[in-house]
Amino acid sequence: MKNHLILISFLFITLYSCKVDNYDLPGETLRGRVVDAATGEPVLTDQGSEGTRVRMRELSWKEAAPENLDIFCMKEGIFQNTKVFRGYYNIRVDGAFIPLVRLNADGDTLADESQNVEIKGVTTVEFKVQPFLKLEWVGTPTVKDGKVTATVKVTRAVSPADFKAKIEPMGGYSDDMLNVTDVRLFVSEVPFVGYREWDNRYSTIIEYPGDAFEPLLGKPVTITTQGVIPAGRTVFIRAAARINYATENIKRHNYNEALRVDIP
Amino acid sequence: MKPKYVLFILIAVLGCAFTSCKDYLDIPPKNIIQDKDVFSGTKGMMLYLSRMYSQMPFEDFKYSPQRQFFDDWLVTPGTSEGSSIGRDAGAAMVNEGSQRNNEYWGRAFALLRDANYLLENLPTYKANFSDAEYNDFIGEGYFARAMVFYALAKRYGGMPLVTSVLKYPENPAAELEVPRATEEETWDQVLADFNKAIENLPETSPVRGYANKYVALGFKSEAMLFAGCVAKYNKITGFGQKTKVRVIGFDPNKAAAASKKYFEEAYNAASEIMKSGKYSLYKQKWAANDKEAQYQNMVDMWFDLSSPENIYIKEYKYPDLAHGYDAYNIPRQLMGGNGYSAGNCPVLDFVELFDGFAKNPDGTIKVLDANGKYLLFDKVTDIFANAEPRLRAYVILPGDVFKGQEIEIRRGIYTGSAAGGIAPLRTVNGITDYGLSGASNYNQVDAYLAKGAFAGKKSLFLSTNSTNHETVKLPDGTVMNAGGKSGPFTADRTAAYTGFTVRKWLNPNMPQADVLEGQSEQPFILMRYAEILLNAAEAGAELIAAGESSLDGDDLQAIAFNAIKDIRERAGADPLTGPATIPVIRRERRKELAFEHKVLWDIRRWRTQHSDMLNGSTQQDGAYYRGLYPFYSSVTGKYFFDAGFEESRTRFRMTEQEYYFAIPAGEVSKSPAIDQQPGR
Repeated sequence: MKNHLILISFLFITLYSCKVDNYDLPGETLRGRVVDAATGEPVLTDQGSEGTRVRMRELSWKEAAPENLDIFCMKEGIFQNTKVFRGYYNIRVDGAFIPLVRLNADGDTLADESQNVEIKGVTTVEFKVQPFLKLEWVGTPTVKDGKVTATVKVTRAVSPADFKAKIEPMGGYSDDMLNVTDVRLFVSEVPFVGYREWDNRYSTIIEYPGDAFEPLLGKPVTITTQGVIPAGRTVFIRAAARINYATENIKRHNYNEALRVDIP
Repeated sequence: MKPKYVLFILIAVLGCAFTSCKDYLDIPPKNIIQDKDVFSGTKGMMLYLSRMYSQMPFEDFKYSPQRQFFDDWLVTPGTSEGSSIGRDAGAAMVNEGSQRNNEYWGRAFALLRDANYLLENLPTYKANFSDAEYNDFIGEGYFARAMVFYALAKRYGGMPLVTSVLKYPENPAAELEVPRATEEETWDQVLADFNKAIENLPETSPVRGYANKYVALGFKSEAMLFAGCVAKYNKITGFGQKTKVRVIGFDPNKAAAASKKYFEEAYNAASEIMKSGKYSLYKQKWAANDKEAQYQNMVDMWFDLSSPENIYIKEYKYPDLAHGYDAYNIPRQLMGGNGYSAGNCPVLDFVELFDGFAKNPDGTIKVLDANGKYLLFDKVTDIFANAEPRLRAYVILPGDVFKGQEIEIRRGIYTGSAAGGIAPLRTVNGITDYGLSGASNYNQVDAYLAKGAFAGKKSLFLSTNSTNHETVKLPDGTVMNAGGKSGPFTADRTAAYTGFTVRKWLNPNMPQADVLEGQSEQPFILMRYAEILLNAAEAGAELIAAGESSLDGDDLQAIAFNAIKDIRERAGADPLTGPATIPVIRRERRKELAFEHKVLWDIRRWRTQHSDMLNGSTQQDGAYYRGLYPFYSSVTGKYFFDAGFEESRTRFRMTEQEYYFAIPAGEVSKSPAIDQQPGR
């Protein structure tokens, strides 16, 4: 009798076990770049939530509202996700550039430059955007007494007229949105230097009230780091600037490329 | 077939035949209380209200941003509002309940259902109550609902406005999905519910602990001030992905009008309390020009249950409902047996808001003379000898007396020469740096390491914790521990590590042996008259900024001026000279309401938390607070104070987006209607 009970309970256990999971591991790859529509150059960014965000929403899954799958661009303005389920996706990017998806004050869509793509194998996408600002190094940074001095040139990558034409219909527009609010020289001991990875003992923030930066646009701006970086260290520096306009509720910076500086 | 089996089958068949329901079998279970019992009279309703009150989102001794409501562990009000920092809670509030309990969202709807159930079903049983009772209970229902929607709106913006009982399983779940409303509709609902509560609640609470009309008016003025500020100062907005509803922020075309409406409501609610004449500032022991009396007055007011300032208090009782405030916040040398202490270390930036000690032109405390050398004081208490009484009532300053003991706060002993003055200590390799790249701990400086100007001559002695002291033999032969009995110790950060510990709310009469978790029973004042004055002043000043100078015949400028003047007078602060402008009112609020979970939300509704300059940085870039560290100069027998970044270098960081907490991800993914915050 006891053996029978054991047998029966075993039967129950085997009958209740699940069938084999019918989903393969996600193995498709999405790869892409975010480039300046005017020049074709990649839009450099921070690596983190204040940088360029890539938002994927799977449209082929119909049983629930699509969820947001967010990844963030690498600092070179490229992104890659190698663990994507095969399917049909809507992809948008948001960063320090004119929003691709623009809504008016009532929530109606004015423009939608997001992309719907079938992700299968290795799928490559490219977003052409209009960044707010462009930053370039001028000359080579110099080091003296543990302080790095670098010169950077900030120019507008989108004309004020073009900015206004696209942003004003979204409501709440003001010309103050175009003002450059701050220019920063970020310092870090790793190459991934940016807003989420900076050493606040050395990094410098210069803030500009109102439109005070306007005359400095296109002119070389020289910035020196703070404090004293100990001799023998290697640091990475990067300049960033932003305008008084938030995309997806975050005021994001435009960047130039990170430079390695050895402190003698 | 054996007869036994036949019998079995027979019983089974018979059993099946008799399962059909009969009315006489459909009796309510006797172990579950029915509506007709609960709503049968006052006693039943008191049970119902007890359950509602036990779920009320009151920010009291059981609330902390880290652990949310109904959790009394490590409650250190002040630590996320910029008044203090502590070992266990020293960071900007960017979400809630992160260390336990998770978001408030989940808990809110249980009380909301209880409130809606009362409002929907009590009218059926109206005959069981007198009119006064009935109105009171209806008012309680609206009050609870207003408190829930207010608590939700200030955290998340637009909320699903569930104003009726959702019947499940009678209706399919899909039909019961309520999407989030706009933020403006949500604040309008808060306003409407408070108004209904005020209309129905009696003048005085029928039962100790229940709300009344003035309690509802008080919270209404607070909530409307929040709504008005969001409409005016908020810059974060957007539409829900699923619903295309503006779930956070206001329509830019409507914001100005909405903000003015809310400020008017805030002002009127506060004004009604003021005009009722029922409440006044606590001044039982207060005497003009007597700082000691003014100080004692503000120490006593937290414990006097008869205080005319108390509009609404939450009472505790040991052992049924006790809290642990004393244990978590006691100065180190008076620590109880379970090893907690000094969870609230006020920061120098907070102390500098007060009057009565020498300051530099930029408002920072004066610790250096004209030559950049330390000022020397005969006694450690001398620097704050004439401090504003309110500061002394809120903060234990170095050398202050608490429970009959002098609270010894001393960072270290300086044994170097004082000839020509003592130079600032934070000097490393000859470079004096009080910025972020300077020394973060005094054990890195030249005087301690015997380097630079101190080469070969160690001149600074420190204690890392209360058992590991460096000692100094004083000129008179006695041996002195480097650190004080109450710190500051940097190793464990539970001992005045900013140079201060909190006094507000601490029970001065509790024996040290009782200073344990879950032993305290002093009440928490949820709403007091000083806040009403501040609310009226702020709403008035905001209305003046919006172009109104009077409301219903009230001179707003005069009301604001008198409110601030009265509070400053009671506090023993310098008298108010200029007009009560918005910055003046905000500064007063940060002082008066510190450690009450109020300033925490003030800096969020002002939208200044991320952008206010704090020691050279803003919180959106990461900012740091400062401390004030007393040192004893053994050669001179005098004290000097070093002001600079606090030694733990706790980074406060929050981004503008975080003024709205994220909706719990599970709630968003399981619902076809609930939207995540736009941009998140």
